[in-house]
Amino acid sequence: MGHSLFSKPKELFIDIVNPRDYVQIDSVSHMYQNLKSSVQKPLKMILLYGKPGTGKSMLLHKLHHDLSKHQKVFMVDIPIIDENDFLRVLAQKIYGHVNRDAITLTTFLELASAVNYPQTPIVLLDEAQLYSTALMEKIRLISDARALKFVITLHKTDDEDIIAKEHFQTRIWESIELQNASPEELKIYIQKKLLKSNCFDVANMINDKNIKIISRLTKGNYRDANKLMFSLFSLYAWFEEYHPSKINYNSLKPKYIEMAAIHTGLIHA
Amino acid sequence: MLNIPSLERRWLKYKIKSYFPYMLFSFLTVTLIIVITIFIHLEESNKQTLPTLVKQESKDIILQTKDINPEIILEPSMQFIETMPSTVSQSTTTSVSIPILPPKNVATMQKIAPISPPAKIAQNVIIPPSLITPTIKSTTQPSSIKRDTATFDIHEIEDRFKNNSNPHLGLYIARYHYDHGNYNEAYNYALKTNSINNTIEESWLIFAKAMVKLGKTDQAKKTLQLYISQSNSDAARNLLDSFEKDVSK
Repeated sequence: MGHSLFSKPKELFIDIVNPRDYVQIDSVSHMYQNLKSSVQKPLKMILLYGKPGTGKSMLLHKLHHDLSKHQKVFMVDIPIIDENDFLRVLAQKIYGHVNRDAITLTTFLELASAVNYPQTPIVLLDEAQLYSTALMEKIRLISDARALKFVITLHKTDDEDIIAKEHFQTRIWESIELQNASPEELKIYIQKKLLKSNCFDVANMINDKNIKIISRLTKGNYRDANKLMFSLFSLYAWFEEYHPSKINYNSLKPKYIEMAAIHTGLIHA
Repeated sequence: MLNIPSLERRWLKYKIKSYFPYMLFSFLTVTLIIVITIFIHLEESNKQTLPTLVKQESKDIILQTKDINPEIILEPSMQFIETMPSTVSQSTTTSVSIPILPPKNVATMQKIAPISPPAKIAQNVIIPPSLITPTIKSTTQPSSIKRDTATFDIHEIEDRFKNNSNPHLGLYIARYHYDHGNYNEAYNYALKTNSINNTIEESWLIFAKAMVKLGKTDQAKKTLQLYISQSNSDAARNLLDSFEKDVSK
């Protein structure tokens, strides 16, 4: 199994957000440049929103990876729901203030004014829809005081338009919406990911018809596409080991793509 | 760990499920097309066979009438037809039966029409086109009206007949008059009934019997002969036999 042609491609699509795995796609690249230039502006809050699986977290991680070389950036990828914990963790990570006791907003702002950074530190908040209104209000006050600059990501679902909420509407100075991938973008994403790791044979197996099926099943959701490709290559690895005659090395079999979709839950059968 | 055999089974189930609506739609479409085709075919075959039968019938009548007597004309008496409702009157003034004969046979038809059962009413009385096609309803219930001599007013029924031209009412009235010795009236109503629906056997029998009572035995016999040639009616044949026996006596 270890020498399988499909083992390496399978590992490539494990659903982990790693800035090193960032694949440049024209539209996403454009969004990222916008985001980077927005961060350089004297804005208090920047909102990055879109449907699940549009690459928000990846962009945020990429931003963290790139900015942390030049300035103070703190990434909160797992939401800190408790207000006291939130301020305490920020004080510790940004200002080096180690204290196990709760920190009030006033104390936090005093700490911020005491430490002088050449550039305003940036806090990246993933999954901001999970924060309470009270905590969001505190974040607003901190950003208004220009103690910190916040870049936050939000899930925009069909059921609830969370950015319509008051604290996001009035305080956001710039917002960037990410879209689901088109079939072409999905093709580039998958191909680039494979080619980046020298999986040329497998990359050549993926034709437009395969991409059409993958795009239809995942609806352009990068996370779902990752899961599907992981299952698909696991399935191919199994066939390569037990029934190699069933593999056509010229293209991916639609049947196997659908089987992988059933396994990942994209098809309910 | 992937369970490939189970996944393959689930995939097969999924494919069957996903193709089912298309298969159902295709099946329904094909069924619908077949049903429509059969229906259209039946409609066309009905249209084709009916005129053929009518034409053949007409030809037979022409041939037979030539042998018998082409100049016999049956007419209602006592301005009877004039008293009928407008719809009926219209048909009585029409002299040519378009659906029965092609235009070139009109002259022949005018001469023999009085003897031919479907058109024998008719130099002056022609069957309306809508009544040429024998309906199941009219043939299956020729004598469904029961006699009730106790409490009815025959004039009322006659009025109703004038209004709705129901052939069963006409038959009833003809039968009533014949039973009461009003042979002229019986003759007229039977003639009228035949003009409305030429498939009621009893009406033709009353018509013939009334003619005999009125002294038109020869005409009655010829009428019956024509009717027998078309309908192959045993009752008409028996009646004709009885007329001939009476004559021989």
